[in-house]
Amino acid sequence: MKSAPEQQKLVTVVIPAHNEAAAIGDVISRIPKTIERMQVVVIVVDDGSTDDTAQIARVFGAQVLRHVTNLGAGAATVTGLKAAQALNADVIVTIDADGQHDPEEIERLVQCLLEGPFDVVIGSRILSPQGMPLTRFVANLLLNALTFVAYRKIVSDSQSGFKVFSQAAANALDLRSAGYEICSEIIGEIYRKNLRYKSVPVKPIYTEYSRAKGQHFLNGVNLILGLLTRWVRHT
Amino acid sequence: MFVLASKVFSILLGAIVIAKSYVDFRSRLESLHMFLFWTLTWLLIIIVALFPGLVDLLLSAFGRERAGLGTFFGMAIVFLFFVVYRIYVKIEGMQQELTRTIQELALRDQWTANHRPEKRTLTPGAKPV
Repeated sequence: MKSAPEQQKLVTVVIPAHNEAAAIGDVISRIPKTIERMQVVVIVVDDGSTDDTAQIARVFGAQVLRHVTNLGAGAATVTGLKAAQALNADVIVTIDADGQHDPEEIERLVQCLLEGPFDVVIGSRILSPQGMPLTRFVANLLLNALTFVAYRKIVSDSQSGFKVFSQAAANALDLRSAGYEICSEIIGEIYRKNLRYKSVPVKPIYTEYSRAKGQHFLNGVNLILGLLTRWVRHT
Repeated sequence: MFVLASKVFSILLGAIVIAKSYVDFRSRLESLHMFLFWTLTWLLIIIVALFPGLVDLLLSAFGRERAGLGTFFGMAIVFLFFVVYRIYVKIEGMQQELTRTIQELALRDQWTANHRPEKRTLTPGAKPV
């Protein structure tokens, strides 16, 4: 009797994007089509963009979900994670849309997750800081410290948007943040849910574009306020 | 001069708030409760600004304790902070509701059925979309 063919495993790459028409195509085109014989599906969450982000993402073969208005990077990430869970994805990757990460490194991080085995792999720019502006480096260290104060967990790059989750880890996460503070909240969830994690060095790519699109000072203030709010609520 | 300026400032602000509140009430953007609350609050502020002596009268009615305008305004600031906190909590709640609604909209219409790369069965216990 023939047994049913084994279903191919699925990796979904979630890209939250807001007005990233200039970079999104290049990011999607550099994502591997298969990883470890697993199929790769790219989900772009267009977070209320006013440019052609969604159309360009579709042209490059991504599945696109659209927020009718801009909610923030955190909310877009959560939407993408939910879509990936609905697809029953075995591995879920999150990566920034501004080209700050090298999509070709996804394969290495996924392999690390599978071989660990780990629940979460964090792509750490701090472990490989060549090319990272000093101000960003220092700001990230300060935010690591703040994340530690809020969530009692120290990691080398708490603000990295480049992460890989196992299916179980994605199901375990209970995320509420709408803004950039989601990165710290994920670290808090790793601690609360006792997830196995590893930080892996990734190459930070800082172009004029990605620096302009990155976190601004006011975002930093919002991030601190958001973290404080959540910290007060959790204590 | 400063006293006069503060009086004009209070009346001007009060007039703006009451007028805006009235327009919003007429346009059904504001409930009757909120319209009355803000109108009475700002009328009170204008009266106190025009006749600060009323506060002394009010405070003396509470007994022989030494209390002046400073005490009154201290209490007013505490009350304002309470109002600001309530507004903050309400906005935060609304923002979370809005976020959830927009996320649901984005995930709706059997998105997964239409976009999945091959027929995959959702595992029992998977989070509903």
